Amino acid sequence: MGQFFRRRWRKWINQRIPRSDHRVLSQKNIFIVPTGAGLVFLVLLLVMLMTGINYQNSLIYLLTFLLGTLFVAAMHQTHGNLAGLELTVVAAGAGFPASTVPMTIRAQAGPRGTASLRIAFQDQVVEQHVEPGQSVDFRLPLQARRRGYLLPGRIRVETRFPFGLLKAWSWIRPVTAAVVYPRPIEGQAQGSTVAGGNAEEQQRTPQGNDHADLRPWREGDLSQRVLWKRFVRSGDLVVADWEGEQGDPQWLDYDAYPGADREMRLSFLARSVLDRASAQVPFGLRLPGDVIEPDQGPLHVERCLKALGVFGEVRPRSDEPLAHGNRAGTDPSGEAAV
Amino acid sequence: MKLAHHEAAEHTGLPSKSLGWLLASFAVLIVPQWDRLPWWLLGACAVLAGWRWLAQTGRLRSPGKWLRSGVMLGMVVIYILTVDGRFTVETAASFFVLSVGLKWLETRSIRDFYVLFFILVYLATVNFLFHQDILWSLVTLSGVALLLVGLQSVNAPDLPPAFRSGWRRLGLTLLKVLPVVALLFVFFPRMAPLWSVPMVSGEARTGLSDTMTPGDISSLARSDETAFRATFGGAMPPHAERYWRGLILDRLDGETWRQGWGQSFRRPGKVAVDGGVGPLQPDEYDVLLEPTDQDWAFALDGSAAVSDNVVPVDNNLFRFRRPADTTVRYRMALVGDLPQQEGGGLSAQEQQRYLQLPVSGNPRARELAESLREQAGRPADVVNAIRARFHQQPYRYTLRPPAMPDNGVDALLFEYREGFCAHYAGAAAFLLRAAGVPARIVAGYQGGEPGAGGEYLIVRQYDAHAWVEVWLPGHGWSRFDPTAAIAPERIESGLREAMREEGSFLEGNWASPRRYGDMAALQWVSLQMDRLNYQWQRWVVGYQGQSQMNLMSRLPGNPGLQELGYMTAGILAIGLLVAGIRLRPAIERKDPYRRILERWYRLCQRESIPVRNGETPAQLARRIARCRPDAAASASAFAGTINRYYYGGRTGPADYARLRRLLGTMKKQMANGRKTPTPERYARE
Repeated sequence: MGQFFRRRWRKWINQRIPRSDHRVLSQKNIFIVPTGAGLVFLVLLLVMLMTGINYQNSLIYLLTFLLGTLFVAAMHQTHGNLAGLELTVVAAGAGFPASTVPMTIRAQAGPRGTASLRIAFQDQVVEQHVEPGQSVDFRLPLQARRRGYLLPGRIRVETRFPFGLLKAWSWIRPVTAAVVYPRPIEGQAQGSTVAGGNAEEQQRTPQGNDHADLRPWREGDLSQRVLWKRFVRSGDLVVADWEGEQGDPQWLDYDAYPGADREMRLSFLARSVLDRASAQVPFGLRLPGDVIEPDQGPLHVERCLKALGVFGEVRPRSDEPLAHGNRAGTDPSGEAAV
Repeated sequence: MKLAHHEAAEHTGLPSKSLGWLLASFAVLIVPQWDRLPWWLLGACAVLAGWRWLAQTGRLRSPGKWLRSGVMLGMVVIYILTVDGRFTVETAASFFVLSVGLKWLETRSIRDFYVLFFILVYLATVNFLFHQDILWSLVTLSGVALLLVGLQSVNAPDLPPAFRSGWRRLGLTLLKVLPVVALLFVFFPRMAPLWSVPMVSGEARTGLSDTMTPGDISSLARSDETAFRATFGGAMPPHAERYWRGLILDRLDGETWRQGWGQSFRRPGKVAVDGGVGPLQPDEYDVLLEPTDQDWAFALDGSAAVSDNVVPVDNNLFRFRRPADTTVRYRMALVGDLPQQEGGGLSAQEQQRYLQLPVSGNPRARELAESLREQAGRPADVVNAIRARFHQQPYRYTLRPPAMPDNGVDALLFEYREGFCAHYAGAAAFLLRAAGVPARIVAGYQGGEPGAGGEYLIVRQYDAHAWVEVWLPGHGWSRFDPTAAIAPERIESGLREAMREEGSFLEGNWASPRRYGDMAALQWVSLQMDRLNYQWQRWVVGYQGQSQMNLMSRLPGNPGLQELGYMTAGILAIGLLVAGIRLRPAIERKDPYRRILERWYRLCQRESIPVRNGETPAQLARRIARCRPDAAASASAFAGTINRYYYGGRTGPADYARLRRLLGTMKKQMANGRKTPTPERYARE
């Protein structure tokens, strides 16, 4: 029975608050109920009224009415505190599992501003004042558990200002999902495929570049970089740091880990991507069905990690129609808008 | 960015600011209770609250568990010892305050804040039970305001200045709700009390007591507290006629006069402060009695009860149905002298009762009485002889009587010849009884001073008076005031005049404005304050069942309690509705074009051409043209006008009218279109 009502309630809420990255809070989507303290307050008002009646005390009546109407006024203030607020999911965020992925929600104040705005998802709560005419970015840390898309259900937007006797809340249900990267695991790439797609390329690459900086081998250097010919000649382990590495892209390949299952491969690749990033070497990523050309820099790294994170995952689709006015939505009726 | 303070505060404690407001509010709300709380409790509360504050600012460590338990145990033990098994209003109030005081040591989280908030709101409520005059009401209300500001600061600490401060917000909100509060106050049906609520006070109030030992009433003479105020429907009786009878003392017990036998116990009824309905008739008067905790109603000679809350009892006295533990208004009528058991005479039992004297004591007085009886034949002659004696011999009326511990009547009559009304009344009654004339003491008030504008009479504690009533065959009980024979100015113009020479009026009561009767400005201010308070008491505090019915009877339709209930519901509904209109988004209210566009969308929805995401009006119009060719032209024109309004071009009221017209046309056209066979293309969709 409870299950039934809960399902109906959720369905009703989801109709009321369709998925959207942008929401303007108004009468239509703000809910308001007394808090626990508010309920106790109402009981107290009742007790006060009884006292007033039994002692025929006008001043107690007066105080009761005063506090009672203040409660009603507080209802409007709490509601008004939230009304007009514009919420936008600015960045869905990305991160590694077992950590938090910050989802950035921008709150643009309505005409009156919003004091003590709390944005909460599961047990994560952030609270701040949004002054009139300002916008504040809330970074809501989402718990990342497993690789893939992370689409939070209902993010609660709440305020209890000014008296804490009532809580007004609404939800935002983002469309944009955050991405959780694979857990980086140190893995050994097999064969030469890590460095390049084929043998000629590998052959060509060191020769095609004359300006190599030679330095002694140190822990962590890739074996492909070692000048084995020199080692044979002199017995020194010397590594070539190629000048202008753009010319020498290294490829990280999904197929380089035979025998490992998909998740392991992705984890190995993630580790490799991080290694390349910290070594500031350019690299490319080859995934079945997706090739990211060699490049370097934080954006590139993020792009690669995201590609690893969502590999094989289906972008979550909302099961209900999108909000009116949301261009991200698809039009199921098929007739293209001209 | 910080974590929610609600969660954080559970560990780190309350914001200092909020705690400060809470402490301030406690300090204010406890002030009206100061006279009924024991001093140790006030001190302990101050120490505990101070401790909490110092712990907050870090100058003192918060008490540990053991210390807390110790303090709690100690306080409760002291409380139990001092209370000593008595249950009175004072002990209840003490317990209440004690629990708040102890709670300070336990106030750590937001939750504790709310607990204290609720307790303090109820403390404010309790304050109103004891103090209802305008100043104390303001004190209590300001305590509540402090609480509400504190509540805001707990919910939004460090509020940036862009928001209104707690005080401003509270003030503006109060301004907005005040009309509704006033309406509710007037129209909320004043039900009768649901059950009887005893308020036993252990503390003696200033006022008449039910015993009289010579010297007692003179301590009242040092108090200028208001005993009651009276408004007369007709002319105010002259000062000398204003004998307010309260109670009869007819049993002399050693030196003390007491109330006689047969004071029947009555269960206290429900609270009834209703003081009559309608304007005062010329023969009526209305009394607003300050709380006395007694059930005595004071009335002029020859009065009858008009309002329900007073009942006549024997000896032409009046009693309340319930002790006056709060301010009570009642109404009486002057009906002239009542036929007082005329002709009947006193029964033997009554004879015995009103002639009772102690077996021994005051031999000289008894001797004098004996001789008076022999000289004068009739009881009236005895009375006259005593009056003449008081008048002719050098008896003095004074507020500084000497102590007369033994044989007080003898000492007064023959030795000192100085005394106060109680002395003379007691002596006169003694003489009369010794002479065989039935007599009794009446305690009450005499006189009173007109309030501001002479609209009403203020009777203060120093107007307390005692006089004698004698039984004269053929006349019944007649008033005999020995004070009138000794100091006629006391009866004719009050205690101030009587004490002018002695200078002992309100001796030792330096703060009283009444003491400085010659300073006109001070008198004026004090009387104006009193008038304000009187009006407040009559119209606000005294606004109860019958006053409400009275006011309502002037409204058309003469609403009763039930109608008032409906009216209250109506006020609430309208209040909410007005607020609801305010809640509507500003856009919808302001932009008529937006509204008409929404109407168009709704029309399309009904006609099963649902608007799509991100569709422009022009696109919609084209789709309409395909689905309902009839409406093509008007839809296109509509979309064009809307676009012109939003994206440039000049618009005027004519455009809006055009839109409305087009919408109407479209509606008809679309309805027609529905009847014609739907194009297959649309059906497929």
